[in-house]
Amino acid sequence: MIKAGKPAPDFAAPAYYQGRFTHVELSRYREQWVVLYFYGGDYTFV
Amino acid sequence: MLSLSVDSVYVHKVWNESELSKMVPGGVPFPMLSDPGGAIGREYNVYNEDTAVDLRGTFIIDPDGVIQGYQVLTSVVGRSTDEIIRQIHAFQIVRESKEKEFTPADWKPGMTVLKPAVELVGRVWEMWKPVRTRE
Repeated sequence: MIKAGKPAPDFAAPAYYQGRFTHVELSRYREQWVVLYFYGGDYTFV
Repeated sequence: MLSLSVDSVYVHKVWNESELSKMVPGGVPFPMLSDPGGAIGREYNVYNEDTAVDLRGTFIIDPDGVIQGYQVLTSVVGRSTDEIIRQIHAFQIVRESKEKEFTPADWKPGMTVLKPAVELVGRVWEMWKPVRTRE
Protein backbone atom coordinates (compact mmCIF):
# COMPACT_ATOMS: atom_id res chain seq x y z
CA MET A 1 0.00 0.00 0.00
CA ILE A 2 1.44 3.31 -1.15
CA LYS A 3 1.36 6.22 1.28
CA ALA A 4 3.12 9.56 1.28
CA GLY A 5 5.46 9.61 4.27
CA LYS A 6 5.98 5.82 4.17
CA PRO A 7 8.87 3.83 2.67
CA ALA A 8 8.78 3.23 -1.09
CA PRO A 9 8.40 -0.48 -1.96
CA ASP A 10 11.74 -1.82 -3.19
CA PHE A 11 12.01 -3.45 -6.61
CA ALA A 12 14.49 -4.64 -9.20
CA ALA A 13 13.98 -4.39 -12.96
CA PRO A 14 15.85 -4.73 -16.24
CA ALA A 15 16.60 -1.37 -17.82
CA TYR A 16 17.97 0.32 -20.90
CA TYR A 17 20.51 3.01 -20.05
CA GLN A 18 22.59 4.97 -22.55
CA GLY A 19 23.17 2.24 -25.08
CA ARG A 20 23.41 -0.67 -22.62
CA PHE A 21 21.07 -3.18 -21.07
CA THR A 22 21.41 -3.14 -17.30
CA HIS A 23 19.65 -3.92 -14.04
CA VAL A 24 18.26 -1.38 -11.58
CA GLU A 25 17.44 -1.84 -7.89
CA LEU A 26 15.64 0.99 -6.12
CA SER A 27 17.56 0.28 -2.89
CA ARG A 28 20.83 1.27 -4.65
CA TYR A 29 19.51 4.85 -4.85
CA ARG A 30 19.56 5.50 -1.10
CA GLU A 31 21.21 8.83 -0.25
CA GLN A 32 19.78 10.27 -3.47
CA TRP A 33 16.49 11.85 -4.43
CA VAL A 34 14.59 9.63 -6.87
CA VAL A 35 11.67 10.29 -9.19
CA LEU A 36 9.76 7.21 -10.37
CA TYR A 37 8.00 8.06 -13.60
CA PHE A 38 5.40 5.53 -14.77
CA TYR A 39 3.79 5.90 -18.20
CA GLY A 40 1.51 3.90 -20.47
CA GLY A 41 3.85 2.92 -23.24
CA ASP A 42 6.78 3.75 -25.48
CA TYR A 43 5.95 5.88 -28.54
CA THR A 44 3.31 7.81 -26.59
CA PHE A 45 3.70 11.20 -24.94
CA VAL A 46 4.66 10.74 -21.31
CA MET B 1 15.08 9.74 -12.40
CA LEU B 2 13.83 6.28 -13.32
CA SER B 3 11.11 5.80 -15.95
CA LEU B 4 8.97 2.67 -16.02
CA SER B 5 6.57 1.06 -18.47
CA VAL B 6 5.50 -2.46 -19.42
CA ASP B 7 7.57 -2.26 -22.63
CA SER B 8 10.68 -4.41 -22.98
CA VAL B 9 14.19 -2.97 -22.78
CA TYR B 10 14.48 -3.66 -26.52
CA VAL B 11 11.53 -1.38 -27.29
CA HIS B 12 13.01 1.24 -24.92
CA LYS B 13 16.25 1.08 -26.92
CA VAL B 14 14.54 1.50 -30.29
CA TRP B 15 12.27 4.28 -29.00
CA ASN B 16 15.27 6.14 -27.60
CA GLU B 17 17.26 5.74 -30.80
CA SER B 18 14.47 6.40 -33.30
CA GLU B 19 12.54 9.20 -31.60
CA LEU B 20 13.66 10.42 -28.16
CA SER B 21 17.24 11.14 -29.26
CA LYS B 22 15.74 13.58 -31.78
CA MET B 23 14.04 15.46 -28.93
CA VAL B 24 16.85 15.22 -26.33
CA PRO B 25 20.47 15.61 -27.50
CA GLY B 26 22.33 12.41 -26.61
CA GLY B 27 19.12 10.55 -25.87
CA VAL B 28 17.42 9.78 -22.56
CA PRO B 29 19.93 10.51 -19.74
CA PHE B 30 18.35 8.18 -17.13
CA PRO B 31 17.59 4.43 -16.91
CA MET B 32 14.40 3.32 -18.69
CA LEU B 33 13.03 0.40 -16.69
CA SER B 34 10.97 -2.48 -18.02
CA ASP B 35 8.10 -3.87 -15.96
CA PRO B 36 6.43 -6.52 -18.17
CA GLY B 37 3.21 -7.72 -16.54
CA GLY B 38 3.05 -4.62 -14.35
CA ALA B 39 4.30 -6.14 -11.07
CA ILE B 40 5.98 -2.89 -10.01
CA GLY B 41 3.04 -0.84 -11.29
CA ARG B 42 0.69 -2.90 -9.13
CA GLU B 43 2.96 -2.40 -6.12
CA TYR B 44 2.67 1.37 -6.65
CA ASN B 45 -1.04 1.19 -7.48
CA VAL B 46 -0.68 2.72 -10.94
CA TYR B 47 -1.27 -0.39 -13.07
CA ASN B 48 -4.50 -0.37 -15.07
CA GLU B 49 -5.75 -3.97 -15.25
CA ASP B 50 -8.21 -3.15 -18.08
CA THR B 51 -5.62 -1.76 -20.47
CA ALA B 52 -2.64 -3.73 -19.07
CA VAL B 53 -0.46 -0.61 -18.95
CA ASP B 54 0.55 1.90 -16.27
CA LEU B 55 -1.17 5.20 -15.52
CA ARG B 56 0.93 8.39 -15.43
CA GLY B 57 2.26 7.95 -11.91
CA THR B 58 5.02 10.16 -10.48
CA PHE B 59 6.64 9.39 -7.11
CA ILE B 60 9.18 11.55 -5.28
CA ILE B 61 11.40 9.45 -2.99
CA ASP B 62 13.81 11.05 -0.50
CA PRO B 63 17.37 9.88 0.34
CA ASP B 64 15.98 7.69 3.16
CA GLY B 65 13.76 5.81 0.68
CA VAL B 66 10.57 7.49 1.92
CA ILE B 67 7.85 8.55 -0.54
CA GLN B 68 7.44 12.30 0.00
CA GLY B 69 4.72 12.76 -2.59
CA TYR B 70 3.02 11.26 -5.60
CA GLN B 71 0.59 12.11 -8.37
CA VAL B 72 -1.36 9.81 -10.67
CA LEU B 73 -3.05 10.95 -13.91
CA THR B 74 -5.00 8.89 -16.42
CA SER B 75 -3.51 8.49 -19.87
CA VAL B 76 -5.13 11.56 -21.46
CA VAL B 77 -3.19 14.41 -19.82
CA GLY B 78 0.60 14.73 -19.62
CA ARG B 79 2.54 15.92 -16.59
CA SER B 80 4.31 19.20 -15.77
CA THR B 81 8.03 18.60 -15.31
CA ASP B 82 8.33 22.14 -13.93
CA GLU B 83 5.94 21.21 -11.13
CA ILE B 84 7.82 18.00 -10.33
CA ILE B 85 11.11 19.93 -10.18
CA ARG B 86 9.48 22.62 -7.99
CA GLN B 87 8.30 19.97 -5.56
CA ILE B 88 11.75 18.35 -5.37
CA HIS B 89 13.40 21.75 -4.73
CA ALA B 90 10.88 22.41 -1.96
CA PHE B 91 11.38 19.01 -0.31
CA GLN B 92 15.17 19.48 -0.49
CA ILE B 93 15.00 22.90 1.19
CA VAL B 94 12.80 21.55 3.97
CA ARG B 95 15.12 18.57 4.45
CA GLU B 96 18.26 20.74 4.49
CA SER B 97 16.67 22.92 7.17
CA LYS B 98 15.98 19.76 9.22
CA GLU B 99 12.28 20.58 8.88
CA LYS B 100 12.69 24.01 10.51
CA GLU B 101 11.50 25.70 7.31
CA PHE B 102 8.40 24.88 5.30
CA THR B 103 7.32 26.02 1.85
CA PRO B 104 3.76 27.33 1.51
CA ALA B 105 1.35 27.18 -1.44
CA ASP B 106 2.73 28.32 -4.82
CA TRP B 107 6.22 28.63 -3.37
CA LYS B 108 8.99 28.70 -5.97
CA PRO B 109 12.79 28.58 -5.54
CA GLY B 110 14.05 31.95 -4.30
CA MET B 111 10.83 32.84 -2.50
CA THR B 112 10.37 33.22 1.26
CA VAL B 113 10.06 30.08 3.33
CA LEU B 114 8.03 29.89 6.52
CA LYS B 115 9.47 29.01 9.92
CA PRO B 116 6.65 27.54 11.98
CA ALA B 117 6.46 29.19 15.39
CA VAL B 118 3.79 30.38 17.79
CA GLU B 119 4.28 33.93 16.48
CA LEU B 120 3.36 32.80 12.95
CA VAL B 121 -0.10 31.60 13.91
CA GLY B 122 -2.64 34.00 12.41
CA ARG B 123 0.15 36.02 10.71
CA VAL B 124 0.84 33.91 7.62
CA TRP B 125 -1.05 36.58 5.63
CA GLU B 126 1.67 39.13 6.54
CA MET B 127 4.57 36.80 5.72
CA TRP B 128 3.27 35.18 2.57
CA LYS B 129 1.81 37.18 -0.30
CA PRO B 130 2.13 35.07 -3.40
CA VAL B 131 1.88 36.97 -6.68
CA ARG B 132 -0.58 35.58 -9.17
CA THR B 133 1.15 35.21 -12.49
CA ARG B 134 -1.73 33.50 -14.26
CA GLU B 135 -4.84 35.21 -15.61
